Amino acid sequence: MKKCFAVLVVCLVLAACVLPAAAANGQVTYQKGAEKFIFLPGSEYSPTDLFPNFKDVMPGDSIQQKILVKNDAANNCKVKVYMRALGAHEDSAAFLSQLDLTVAKGTDTVMFDAPADQTAQLTDWVCLGTLYSGGECELIVTLDVPVTLDNRFMDLVGYLDWEFAVEELPVEPEDPRPPQTGDESQILLWAIVLAVSLTMIIVLLFSRKKKEKE
Amino acid sequence: MKAKARLLLIALAAIFVTVLTRPTLAYYTTIGKATNVVTSGDIQLQIHEKTADGSDFPAEGVYIIPGDIVSKQVSVENVCGHPFYLRVKLVSGSTNESLSADECLKLDIDTRNWTSQDGYYYYNQILQPGECTSALFTQVEIVGSKVDQTHVGSTLSLTVNAYAVQSENNPADHPWDASGWPAE
Repeated sequence: MKKCFAVLVVCLVLAACVLPAAAANGQVTYQKGAEKFIFLPGSEYSPTDLFPNFKDVMPGDSIQQKILVKNDAANNCKVKVYMRALGAHEDSAAFLSQLDLTVAKGTDTVMFDAPADQTAQLTDWVCLGTLYSGGECELIVTLDVPVTLDNRFMDLVGYLDWEFAVEELPVEPEDPRPPQTGDESQILLWAIVLAVSLTMIIVLLFSRKKKEKE
Repeated sequence: MKAKARLLLIALAAIFVTVLTRPTLAYYTTIGKATNVVTSGDIQLQIHEKTADGSDFPAEGVYIIPGDIVSKQVSVENVCGHPFYLRVKLVSGSTNESLSADECLKLDIDTRNWTSQDGYYYYNQILQPGECTSALFTQVEIVGSKVDQTHVGSTLSLTVNAYAVQSENNPADHPWDASGWPAE
């Protein structure tokens, strides 16, 4: 009984430690089976919102948001991932034009550095990289709110759209092999082909013997 | 015999063809749109005017006579999610030109928690979300020596105006040194 209680406490502590950290990240996940992206965590404003940290911002704030882009397809799926910005919604442009947004791939490569309502360097598709099954890359988005932002911009909501695309590529022999996490081969199909082939071979052998006897 | 050899070849070819064609399936492209949201915060306060028994001070006011001490406890609550600096301006008025409200209204200002500066009373601490200040004053005395028969029927008023400015990203040694105080 004591052991059960101890395990329960440990689980609760772990959950408390892990959940807030997970919730603070945005996530873009490509799911092959569904042929679609899953955007997390979403918010009360948009189910595909990737900016949980950019809520209730105040003048002078400089806030970071990590976004993980993942290829969640099962084994042997190689994709090229792209993104582009579509800009702010019309009624959000005045507010978002006051804020500066930076998007960097990892800690080095800055892909976007402009007012948040703009499409700037992300007007055209930009490749984030090639991801194998289970692979991921990280975007670091930084929002700078000028200290001069005045009361006209208090308590506002700004919407901006991003698009992500994947292009599925054939896995080449020289590609690194991802760890096997399951068997996806169509066993039934191979079994049928094998059975038909074996049957035909047996029929052939049998008929040859019969002919030899004759 | 020839026909059987052909069958054997076809069977073997079927195996090879199915194996070899597998990796050359068509490639897919998928596009998804994320609508991201940025929201700005706000600063909100609420002024409380209570009497000694805890009830709200009557909005229509109270009848007074010279020498009265009226219970009126004025405090301010932070009702937003951000801490702020706070200042209060008291504006007194009279409907009778010969009656100076400034002279005949005497307040017991809490000078321990509030500092008078530039015509405002500044709350000495940063007011955190959900917190309420101590009362700026708890009673108003009507100074008898300043009021006489000629002032019967006059109305005295005391207006409380509160102003707040964010304390986040706004360091200051004293509240009155903070940047961004809203204009009156």
